[in-house]
Amino acid sequence: MSEFCGNPAAETGEALMPTKPKFDRTRTCVKCKTNSGNLVIRHSVYCRDCFTPLITTKFRQALEPHINHVSTGPRRGALKPSGGLLVAFSGGMGSSVLLDLVHRIYCANVGSDELKGGREHPRRSRVWKRIHVCYVKTSDVFPEINDQTAQIREAVARYEGCEFIPVRVQDAFDRSWWERVSGDAASSSAEIPVDLNDGDSEPIAALKAHLRALPTPTATQSTLSTLTRLLLLYTAHSIGASHLVLGTSLTSLSISLISSISQGGGFVVPQAIQEEWISPFVKRTPETTSWSGEVRLIRPLREVSLKECTAWVWWHQLSVVGKQRVPISERTIGSLTKDFIIGLERDYPSTVSTITKTVGKLAPKGKSGMRCVLCELPTQQSVQGWKARTSIHSFADAPSPADVATSLPIYLCYSCQTTLTSKSSRSTTSLNSGSLSTTSAPDAMDLPTWAAARLAFGVGIGEEQSATTSTSTNETRESRQSLIKSLVGEFLLDH
Amino acid sequence: MKLKIEFGGGLELLFLNQRTHLIVIPSTVPQGDKNGQPGQPVDINFLVHWLKDNLLKERPELFIENGTVRPGILVLVNDTDWELEGEGGYQLKEDDEIVFISTLHGG
Ligand SMILES: [Zn+2]
Ligand SMILES: [Zn+2]
Repeated sequence: MSEFCGNPAAETGEALMPTKPKFDRTRTCVKCKTNSGNLVIRHSVYCRDCFTPLITTKFRQALEPHINHVSTGPRRGALKPSGGLLVAFSGGMGSSVLLDLVHRIYCANVGSDELKGGREHPRRSRVWKRIHVCYVKTSDVFPEINDQTAQIREAVARYEGCEFIPVRVQDAFDRSWWERVSGDAASSSAEIPVDLNDGDSEPIAALKAHLRALPTPTATQSTLSTLTRLLLLYTAHSIGASHLVLGTSLTSLSISLISSISQGGGFVVPQAIQEEWISPFVKRTPETTSWSGEVRLIRPLREVSLKECTAWVWWHQLSVVGKQRVPISERTIGSLTKDFIIGLERDYPSTVSTITKTVGKLAPKGKSGMRCVLCELPTQQSVQGWKARTSIHSFADAPSPADVATSLPIYLCYSCQTTLTSKSSRSTTSLNSGSLSTTSAPDAMDLPTWAAARLAFGVGIGEEQSATTSTSTNETRESRQSLIKSLVGEFLLDH
Repeated sequence: MKLKIEFGGGLELLFLNQRTHLIVIPSTVPQGDKNGQPGQPVDINFLVHWLKDNLLKERPELFIENGTVRPGILVLVNDTDWELEGEGGYQLKEDDEIVFISTLHGG
């Protein structure tokens, strides 16, 4: 035992506490009360036969009340989603189970005898007309990891009726991707600038520069997950999906809630569970009640632990491609939290679900009127405050770059500010070594296309705000773009 | 004693990239073996050390922690959660099928 550098507290605990059974009373299944149990789920024992309907029910209870644009509540009527369904697929355990369940419930069994007629199984028509599966690959940016796109494509192809959409993480910095996802909406109305990045800078280089400028491995990890989330949301919007589903399990949700809160994300706890995202191209007035292109992000496995996902994979013989670990330090808040939660789940299995239940009840104070330009989640800033400082009607009115530099935080949520500027030994080192000189810093901070668009024109920053850019000329736009570039650079140097 | 061992969830990568292994292990802890009381019937904790010493090719910390299976690995004994069978203390029987599946493949 001495050769392992485990958690000393855990070792002592192991020695002091005698192992006691992790299940209540008997080994018989709590559901059918007949079969001998096969799996312990938070102290309750289930047999293999009862396990499948248990998971299916949890999945449907988390998803189906939110399928109709206006919630039907727990009592389901007909399920009529406004648009299509996009399934986020990483190749990992959670999303493999997610895709299997989506296909099993909404594709494979549609029209089958099993589900026809009867009060228990009302006749169901096809709920989703189109199901797409999106994979965001990171291997172009990290040469250490293999490109798994082919295996992922193959895994998706096993599910009939699901269309595959591969996306690259550097697309976040790719002008042509932005043109594709913004489509007609952008070109016809707002002329959203996409060339804030130097025209010739390759998306991969821009993303690498963005990541290099981040102060800590924790910041890198949270930036990658923000980019992935936005790539999925914009992809969903571009294909007319009204719903985006993620394979976040109960275990992963606890991990992300705790690590997000510790990085300043407390204000957006509700969105970490479920989120209503409005594309900047959607024009909505407060009177709008019908679906107008919003994407509802749902985590249907949020009550299903990783252990249950694993048992599902094993008993239903899914082959899991496996999610490749991005080669950044193991000492991030995220991976430390993960070790903690995984250990907790083994030793105190009920505690993990208590975490998500408790955290899920937290209602942040204050109403939000605007969204962060980077992560597009609600921020605590007041719209008025933002407007007062950013209503640039002509370039002559524009504040000097120095003025704007001090106001950059107002465009960003607290969590993204922390991500960009948190102190660490690494940032001190790089500043001291001179790698971030005054002249190179601004270029080091190319922004994702959506952030650039929102910063330049305020497109969609306020939820009820529509693009007001028709009077912009190319000249003022270019000036603003250089203004923003220097603003971002100065903001970083100040911290 | 003959056993059938299966690995899943990526754990097979640590074991010669082979999912199924048919192995033969002693039925009692051999003299001089520090992974149990010599002479006692072997249990899963003994098996875990045996696998580490005989089959594991790399990164033992992904399989074993504090003398037993690392948290985040689901263990099935003849298709039943090892938590119902006494976990590491389960006494192995001839022809048992033991499955180790990593849950850590993420979302
Ligand atoms: Zn049962
Ligand atoms: Zn943000």
